Parts: sequence; C-alpha cells; structure tokens
Amino acid sequence: MQEEELQKTEKKSAYELFFDIPVGPQHPALKEPAFFKFRVEGERVVGVDVDVSYNHRGIERALEDRNYIQNIYLIERICGICNVAHTLCYAQAVEQLHGKEIPPRANYIRLMMEELARIHSHMLWLGVAAHEIGFDTLFMYVWRDREVVMDLIEMLTGNRVTTAVNTIGGVRRDVSNEAKDKVKKGMNVLEERLKYYRKVALNDPTVNARCSGVGILKPKDAIRLCAVGPTLRASGVKNDVRKDDPYTLHDEVPFNVITFDTMDVFARVLVRIDETLESVNMVRYCLDHMPNGDVRIKLPLSPPVGEAISRVEAPRGELIHYARSNGTKNPERYKVRTPTFENLPSVSEMLTSKSDYEVNIADIPIILASIDPCFSCTARMEFRDVSKGKTWIWSLKELKAHCSKSRR
Amino acid sequence: MEENEVSEALKNKFGKKILEIKIPKKGEKVAEDTLIPEIMEIKVFKRRVFVTVPIEIYKEVIRYLVEELGFNHVQAMTGLDAGKFIEVMLHLGRGITITVRTRIEKDRSVLSTITDLVPGASLHEREIHDLLGVVFEGHPNLTRVIVPEGWPENVYPLRKEYHPEQPKPIREMS
Repeated sequence: MQEEELQKTEKKSAYELFFDIPVGPQHPALKEPAFFKFRVEGERVVGVDVDVSYNHRGIERALEDRNYIQNIYLIERICGICNVAHTLCYAQAVEQLHGKEIPPRANYIRLMMEELARIHSHMLWLGVAAHEIGFDTLFMYVWRDREVVMDLIEMLTGNRVTTAVNTIGGVRRDVSNEAKDKVKKGMNVLEERLKYYRKVALNDPTVNARCSGVGILKPKDAIRLCAVGPTLRASGVKNDVRKDDPYTLHDEVPFNVITFDTMDVFARVLVRIDETLESVNMVRYCLDHMPNGDVRIKLPLSPPVGEAISRVEAPRGELIHYARSNGTKNPERYKVRTPTFENLPSVSEMLTSKSDYEVNIADIPIILASIDPCFSCTARMEFRDVSKGKTWIWSLKELKAHCSKSRR
Repeated sequence: MEENEVSEALKNKFGKKILEIKIPKKGEKVAEDTLIPEIMEIKVFKRRVFVTVPIEIYKEVIRYLVEELGFNHVQAMTGLDAGKFIEVMLHLGRGITITVRTRIEKDRSVLSTITDLVPGASLHEREIHDLLGVVFEGHPNLTRVIVPEGWPENVYPLRKEYHPEQPKPIREMS
C-alpha cells in the first residue's frame, strides 16, 4: 500500500491505535533481503509497504558492457533457482535477433531441463511452505525427495544448481542413453512421492488449518494487479505462457494448465503439486520422443540490428526479456522483468485486511511465501557504494583490516 | 485475437496518424529513421506487434487496447536511452505481446501515467522513473523503489551519460 493510503487509514482507526511493525530486511521467514512495513490494528494487518531496494546488483547495465557470450553466464546468475528459465529466455531472444532456429534435439533437451528445474523449484517451495506453517516433518520429507531430481540434474549437466546448459544456438551437453534410463527411474520415484504429498496436502488437518482461507486473491484483483504464474492460476485464471505463447516445443508436448478456484494459499500449494506432476509427464514424453542429431549450431558473435521480446514460463511465473541489438558484439539495451516483481502488488493486496476477510500477523510468513518470492531476481540494479556522487574502493590493506576486525 | 487483427484494428482506429506500415521478416534490420516521433508505425512478427506512436496519442492508444480490445495485462515497461530521446516501451497482453513505443525528449521527459487504466503498471512506472528519470504525470506515488536509500537526486543509472565506476583489481597481476 502507498504511504498516503497508510496515512488515510490512520485517521479512520476504530481504536485510534496503530502500530507499524517492520519485517526485514533480514528476517528468519524471508531468506532474501526485502523490507515490509506492516500497519497493524491489534492482530489485524491493515496496510503494507514494500521496499525491495536492498539487493541491487546493476545487472542490466553490466549486460550492456559485456558481449553476448559473456552475458550468458551473467544472466544465469540473476537467480540461482530459475537459472534455466533465465538462460533459456536469453538464448531465445538472441536467436530471435539472429533469425535462426535451433536443431530439434536441442529443443527437446531445453524443454526437459526447464521442466526438471520446475520440479526442483516447486519441491523446494513446498518444503519452505511446510516449514512456514510449522510442519517441519513434511519439509524434511520433501527436501529429501528433492535430492532425486538434484542428482539427475547433476548427472545431466555436471552441476546441481547452476546448470549452464543453455547457450546461444542450442545446448552445451547431449543426453546419453544411460542417462535417459536413470532419468526415467527418477521420474517414477518422484511421481509416487508427489502423489503422496498431494494426499497429505488434501487430508492433513495442519495444512488445512493454516492454508485454507488465508491470503485470498480474487480473480478480478489478480487480473487488475497483473499477477502471473501459479499465483494467478490459483485464483482460477487459466493462463500459462507455455500454452498462450508456446516456445521451444510446448505446442507439441501435451500438458494441462492447472487451475484451482479457492483463491487462497491452499490453492497455491495444490497448483504447484499438480504442476510438478505435469512436469514429470513432460520429461517422460521428451525422453521417449527425442530425435537424434546435433544439439548446437554455431552463430556469429554479433547479431544484426533489431529487437526481440522473449517470454518463458519460469517456475514463479511469466519471465520477459527484451533485447535491442545495435549490430556490435554488445547489446544496446537488455531488459529483464522477473515474475516476483510483477507479483508484488498482488502480495500487498493479499496482506491487507478487507471487510470480508482478515489477515493476522501470524499469517504473514505463509502469505509472503505463497507467491514464492525471489528478491534477488527482482532487484537487479545496485551499484557499489555511491553517495552524493562520491565513490570509494577498498584497497587490499583496508580489506584485510576490515576482515581482521570482523574476526575479532 | 491474432496479431494481424490487432494491427488492422489499430489502423482503423488511428488510421490518420499512420504514415508507414511495415511487416518485416524475422531478423530484418530496423532502420534508425523509421523511429522518428511523428510516424506511427506498426510492425508484426509472430505473436509480436510493435506500434510506434507519437506522445500525444500514447494514452489514447493504450486506453483503446486495454478497454476495448481487452489487453489488460502489463507484461513489462522498458526504458531506453536513445541519445536525445528516451524511448518508453509498454509491453501489453497475455497471449500475444503488443509493444506500444513512444519517444520523449530527454530534457522534458514527462509522460502521462497509465495506472488509472491498469493498476499493476505502478511498479513498472516507478522503476523507469528511478532508472531513467521519466516523470509520470498523475502517478499516485512516484517515489524511488529500485535504487537504494541515500541515492543522489538527478543521477539516473540507465542513462548513457552515467558511467559506473569500474572495479579495479585489488592486487596487480604479475
């Protein structure tokens, strides 16, 4: 909520007593720095102000100073968990600038990696959500099973998280037949476990008590505030970039867009579990239908003058990259819009009490977690210490002095 | 709605302002002189429409797209420093992407807000205000959101005249 509106609510208080509770930038419920100022009236939350300016890294400007190959590795570091979505989006944008298509086998591998990343991201989220509602047994079970997909990703790409698999013109690693068998076995294990978690989510009284009727976002508001991804689909709006604007092979590989109509945190849990099950089936389809052939074409370093918009359904929602090329080896402008940035107005809406539903302080962590926030994605633009136009850099001596001071 | 239907609808509605219509092939070069602000130009790619409009009808075009054609989702807003001008691009739509592009002068960079049409555009406008110094007239809360506390006034990090300090190696390589 805006500062002015906060002041308005102050005057209207029934008890004439409001408190501002600061949450963040460092808070045990939020793993990344973001600052929330909650205005509370007793236990009710009546207003929220969001500040995300703690984690800016200046990536958009840094992209303009590097060439297209170097940028792959910088783009990958916008976000650890969505790294496959980011590199895929970047590679698609640059290929669109070149006007080239990539080999079909590369498309299958890209899609498979994207879905494996979605499985691991959604399972990570499910664990975090279970932890936020105080259900730590479920958290440990889910994260144990997440290791199955992490091991598969490590086997396929050589790395657990930062996979570096997508590149301009295709993918960097092929998939062998032995690897295919292992992935199939892993998918069988995951499917069984995910069906079990679905049963737990539907039947467990703890999950039901903490998630049902909490963090309501009505479809009308979701559309008005431009919500994206599972947050939007949990409000009953059928929208998925993979269906609406198919990229790689999403027009060939069959899958369902999962929606749920209870509009609360419970719906977001179920949408994510069901989506993970869909991803498992998509990975299986890719393994069965993968054609033989090359996995990469070579493209020149400098694309022709032009512009491109690339869209990908990242685990957290719609991800957009805009690229403008000026014919040199560095891009003229590169813009990244991440899903969490788009979902921030929606989470502010969920966190504000209305006439027909109340938000309690105890519900804040799970509502915040329910959009799967990723603030290092959201804020990409910080520069090193600059105040009033002055900059300074530590010398090695000063750095050492600082280190030894903090050791003490 | 298909991309060609959108471009036809826009041509019918704002036909007088159109001087040139181009449907380039994938990866075709965009000449610099096609972007002068008097020309309204429509380019159509696969599921992508690029519309360049003069600043006077910028809001009118967006109102038409949002209220009558139903493109009520703001995907993103891109700001770009193009020398004397600042280019603001609004990406609309959930299925196909319609980019409404306008150019404003750098010294008097004022544009009317669209938060009354789509409330979800609020953060995007604040981001462009932060990074490029475009003032959105009528925005309810145009405060800084992206740059950290204590950032100096009138320093806009995405303008080309801003040069970030290059990190020096703390130890010389031998």
